[in-house]
Amino acid sequence: MGVESQRVEDFRLTREPYYVPLGNEIELFEAAYESKLPVMLKGPTGCGKTRFVEHMSWRLERTLVTVACHEDLTASDLVGKYTLSGDETVWQDGPLTTAVKAGGIAYLDEVVEARKDTTVVIHPLTDDRRILPLEKKGEIVSAPDDFQLVISYNPGYQSVLKDLKHSTKQRFVAIEFDYPPPDIEETILKSEAKVDDDVAAKLVKIAEKVRNLRTHGLEEGVSTRLLVYAGQLIQAGVEPIAACEATICKPITDDIEMQRSIIEIIATQF
Amino acid sequence: MTFGPAVGNVGMYVAREMLAAVPEDQRQSYLRMVEEISELKYQLGVEVARQLPRLLAEHDPELVARYLDQVKRVASVGWKSGVEVAKQLPDLYGAPDDSLAESYVEIITHATNGPSEDTGTSQLADELDRLERELREMEPKVKRAQELRTQLAARDRRDEKRRKHAVELASALPPILARLRPRYRPPYLLQVQQVAGADPEASLEAADTLLDLLNGDRVSPEGAAEWVSRGLEVLERNKEVGRGYFRLGSKYALEVLEELKEGLALKSIARVLKLYATALSGRDVVIRSTADVELSGARNLENIVLPPDIRFFDDDDKNFIAYKVAAAQGAGRIEFGTYAFSLESIPETVSALENRYGGRK
Repeated sequence: MGVESQRVEDFRLTREPYYVPLGNEIELFEAAYESKLPVMLKGPTGCGKTRFVEHMSWRLERTLVTVACHEDLTASDLVGKYTLSGDETVWQDGPLTTAVKAGGIAYLDEVVEARKDTTVVIHPLTDDRRILPLEKKGEIVSAPDDFQLVISYNPGYQSVLKDLKHSTKQRFVAIEFDYPPPDIEETILKSEAKVDDDVAAKLVKIAEKVRNLRTHGLEEGVSTRLLVYAGQLIQAGVEPIAACEATICKPITDDIEMQRSIIEIIATQF
Repeated sequence: MTFGPAVGNVGMYVAREMLAAVPEDQRQSYLRMVEEISELKYQLGVEVARQLPRLLAEHDPELVARYLDQVKRVASVGWKSGVEVAKQLPDLYGAPDDSLAESYVEIITHATNGPSEDTGTSQLADELDRLERELREMEPKVKRAQELRTQLAARDRRDEKRRKHAVELASALPPILARLRPRYRPPYLLQVQQVAGADPEASLEAADTLLDLLNGDRVSPEGAAEWVSRGLEVLERNKEVGRGYFRLGSKYALEVLEELKEGLALKSIARVLKLYATALSGRDVVIRSTADVELSGARNLENIVLPPDIRFFDDDDKNFIAYKVAAAQGAGRIEFGTYAFSLESIPETVSALENRYGGRK
């Protein structure tokens, strides 16, 4: 236990993660935390959901255990399992159990990607019981007051086969995110990529135009994260059009004609 | 031993001891007799050469003449019988009965010749000889006939293939014509007809390729005619290479096309321009060709109407930039509502401007 606590302490943030609020999300999150309510962050890729959780972790002075969910993630991976150690089997807590025991924030990123049984496991943690049953171990772990469960969810990715069940959705306070408004996005770029006003404005203008293509064959618009990457490459000396092509154009589509139109949009700015 | 030219190659089968047994004054005639009879058959000459010295030794020319005559008679119907008779006959001449030798010869002659009805066989043989001679004379004609037969069979196969491709063309053309823009149909049909006249198989390829070239505005109708004309020259030299040309499968076909290509076709870049203008304006823009608009007459505020091809520059990259400028301008008009204005909205607009900037006296 001592070792686990030590490990969890490693996840305590010591420096303030840069975050510019887009609305009342900080107040909402703090209120949910005070009321011991789980939170669901909704929004497109790269719009700042994870950065927001990190910021709140620092702001609330709580540890942050992040689990990047994937389609092979099982309930056992999340809660814990018996493993062989020499001649005996020993129980090993999963990241969720570790986070619950230690208190702080457990963040399940893209939870819908995980297998169905994992979403059922978190149900008892999300209502007034705030418990985590360890079925294989025959133990129930009660979450301390400072524990907070946060999941993220990208509605744009979902399909009939892959969507959160309503019984799960309706257990969370939802905070919706979108790409920041142009002035805020420029501020973010200047801070994160250290680009000047002109480059930041051009990158944001490109993003605004490319995001117009979201319903015309582009699954998602260019994220703020990719704009930061573009700015960082430009700051590193890469020619702006090449930097934008590598970060804004190529990662978001394989459609040759779509790529060409995006490059033309980039060329209108640089 | 050499007997000189008169005796030919008799020395090959007249042994020295045989000649020695012939009286010296008769040796020359001996050799002539042997040579004469050996012309009938070599083996006959050998046997006569052996027996004649006995008869010549008797100095009876009649007997020798009789011997040679009888041997020849038998040999004329069968040389093997002749050889045997030539061997046995001298012994029969010593018999008390003079007619014995002649009877012997008669029997052997008849036995060799066979029954009288078999004489027809020799006629058959003669006829066969004649026919074979005729057949030999016919051989060049037979050979020529075979050549003609092969050539005509090849022509028949070509005709069959031609008819098959003509049927395929008959089936393929109507749907192609339905897809082809109406104004291109007359020149298209003219070109396809020319190729079909030269080679229906090549016309199938040409029909597809010309559809793409014309509908895609990659060449003008005049350019298509020139492209077909050059292809027909290739087709005349080599059918297979010509067919490759018409399916755009040869380097030369592409080179000619590049030479004839006039400007950049809107169709080839319409989607890029649509996405570009949609991104710029934030509206669902539709790119339309002036040709299509003329045909349908339909106009829409969200449409950007552009020419079907642009040929301002030799370089298509520059022609694309020209399209891009036109599309960007269209996107600007759509985004800022240039064409959204209508006469009915004037009163409302005037009121709004008065409220905003104050009334004008």
